[in-house]
Amino acid sequence: MDDKVVAMLLAGGQGSRLKTLTSKIAKPAVPFGGKYRIIDYALSNATNSGIRDIGILTQYKPFLLNSHIGIGSSWDFDRTFGGLKILPPFTSEDGGRWYTGTANAIYENIDFIDNLAPEYVLILSGDHIYKMNYQHLLDVHKENNANVTISVLEVPWEDTSRFGIINVDRDKRIIEFEEKPENAKNNMASMGIYMFNWKDLREYLIKDNEDENSSNDFGKNILPKMLDDGKRMYAWVFEDYWKDVGTIRSYWEANMDLLDEKNTLNLYDRDWRIYTKNKNLPPQHIAKNSIIKNSLVNEACDVKGEVKNSVLFSNIVIEKDAKINNSVILSNCVIRSGAEVNNAVILEDITIEVGSKIGTKNDDNIYLVSDEGILIE
Amino acid sequence: MDSCLGIITTGDIDFNFGVLCNHRPVYMLPFGGRYRLVDFAISNMVNHNLSTIALYTGEKINSTMDHLGNGEPWDLNRRFSGLFLFAPMVEKDQGIPLGDISQFCSTEEFFNRVKEENILVRHPNYLAKVNLTEAYKYFIDSEADITLIYHKSKDTEGKLVNCNKMYLDEESNLIDIGINLGTEETFNHFIRMAFLKKDVFLRLVKESREKGDPKFLIDAISQYRGKLKINAYEFKGHVESIKDLKSYYDANLNLLKEDVSKEVFYEGGQVFTKTKDEPSTYYTDESNVENSLVANGCIIKGKVENSIIFRGVKVGENAIVKNSIIMQKTQIQDGAIVVNSIIDKSATISEKVNIAGSSAMPYIVERYRHITND
Repeated sequence: MDDKVVAMLLAGGQGSRLKTLTSKIAKPAVPFGGKYRIIDYALSNATNSGIRDIGILTQYKPFLLNSHIGIGSSWDFDRTFGGLKILPPFTSEDGGRWYTGTANAIYENIDFIDNLAPEYVLILSGDHIYKMNYQHLLDVHKENNANVTISVLEVPWEDTSRFGIINVDRDKRIIEFEEKPENAKNNMASMGIYMFNWKDLREYLIKDNEDENSSNDFGKNILPKMLDDGKRMYAWVFEDYWKDVGTIRSYWEANMDLLDEKNTLNLYDRDWRIYTKNKNLPPQHIAKNSIIKNSLVNEACDVKGEVKNSVLFSNIVIEKDAKINNSVILSNCVIRSGAEVNNAVILEDITIEVGSKIGTKNDDNIYLVSDEGILIE
Repeated sequence: MDSCLGIITTGDIDFNFGVLCNHRPVYMLPFGGRYRLVDFAISNMVNHNLSTIALYTGEKINSTMDHLGNGEPWDLNRRFSGLFLFAPMVEKDQGIPLGDISQFCSTEEFFNRVKEENILVRHPNYLAKVNLTEAYKYFIDSEADITLIYHKSKDTEGKLVNCNKMYLDEESNLIDIGINLGTEETFNHFIRMAFLKKDVFLRLVKESREKGDPKFLIDAISQYRGKLKINAYEFKGHVESIKDLKSYYDANLNLLKEDVSKEVFYEGGQVFTKTKDEPSTYYTDESNVENSLVANGCIIKGKVENSIIFRGVKVGENAIVKNSIIMQKTQIQDGAIVVNSIIDKSATISEKVNIAGSSAMPYIVERYRHITND
């Protein structure tokens, strides 16, 4: 990127609907796709798009996220100048406080951005799975001479009430926001990815902070305010794979999507790699008389049983005569001999004992297995 | 092991490896699905807290530089100490002199500068996950000048002919060291790994250099038997001596034995290597994989049996890979059959091509080659 862009990645989300998946970690730190964590997609997109400076805004249970990101070397963000900084809430002369909203998190770090003196600030969320070249967003932003450009996505009509819906004119200029509407006028939803001119954003963040009635949120406050003031706001339509893994079922589905060879979230594309912190584990061992069909398997797995339509993370033992079906198994699990696992999401370090059975081949439930027991969704 | 320096000496003889070593030294041969031979030596030393490691690179330096870099995967990218790479010293008009003695001599300042008082010298083509902490303790406690590490190897098939054989007294002191000719089934196999006091090491190196002979440290040690206190420490684990294509091929396939892979990959510390950010490996509905080691980033659609598959390999539909080593990013296209072969990296075996070697002499395909039926 020739233009100076600073990315600000919101990674403080709790993701409470993910239940025990996020009981110890923030949603962006949730493992996904055999070896990644959800935040890896946004971080990799940023580095692949040529962004050099990025601030990570953390808040909810940040320990694992912090150690995963470190100084950002996995994404080439360990720079002598600029690079990656983790930005947790902090105290000042006026006392300390948590980030009160998405906009407040950026407001509190105005100094960080001012120091880098960018022309543009890109707001990202660490909750979504997608591959995007943010340069395209910037190109459109500049072409339209816009104050802000929002990345939008066509969602199924029945889901419009879960999203911020954006209505545009023929030139894709935004004319109206509808926050989670009952009867939406169209099905273009905001993806929570915004390209701002820093000058404009800075001004609105300060105004927003002075407004005591504001909930300091981009979708609810900053963007509608800018629209009221007649700012040039444009939508850019993203037409590729995108998933917000809000629930256990959608988490399971998104993992299963990876098994579809037609899935456009091609993890094998060497021109757009997804990077993650590497564990440097040995290759996987596939034993004699084992069966593996339509599955993703990661390093240090030892497969002696049967694995079908499943995603296996690293260092998992599937003993002889164990059967895994339509399941997502996180790292360091052991599935003992004779056990049968269907439609499950099994969290890290769990042992499924000899002969135990989870789910049946034909049922519609998703089973979330953690050390607190089995939740059915 | 604060006061021990690690030295990896190569002085390579690489003409036993055919086209596999046209562009790389032996210690850079891919091994075990995602590693290079040298990774095992470095990781073993790092896992026993050696913090200064020097590698004598030999002539073919490009792959070494690319792979080792500043030593980051081994945590050797330190402000002080860490990894040192020594490219060969070239003498005017004479090229690179034979043997490691001259190389050690050319880096004398390095040995004077480092604070470590003892040295572990090892050869990267010997794979042995030695408990170095214990061996070092033996070396220190026995107050030896030199402790050689050996393995009681059993060899009925003559695989270890021409390896170094040692004769020891009852207290494990060195009597003689020579070449194994296979006259005994079990012998004391010197695995080219030794602890030396630094001053003894420098004395050996300088005196040998001044006399012009011997050229190799191991020969120098042998000449000083009787004059120095030289004893031996027995290593009881798994040893691979990689000295030619056949031993390289066998050593790879030995990893398919569960006890061997447990020891090599898991026990006594992890093996580190340069990471590649490959996604998980995908097995299709039609794939059929048995008794194989598969690294990340592969797409397996065909049949794979008794093989080592490196990172980013593609095996096409109805392709068959058996008893083979397929290196990184190689493609075995639909319907191709590869048996008893070593396919070097980024090669392509086209549709329906059959290639086969024998288990005694695997078929070798050079890197970047495109093999077609025409």
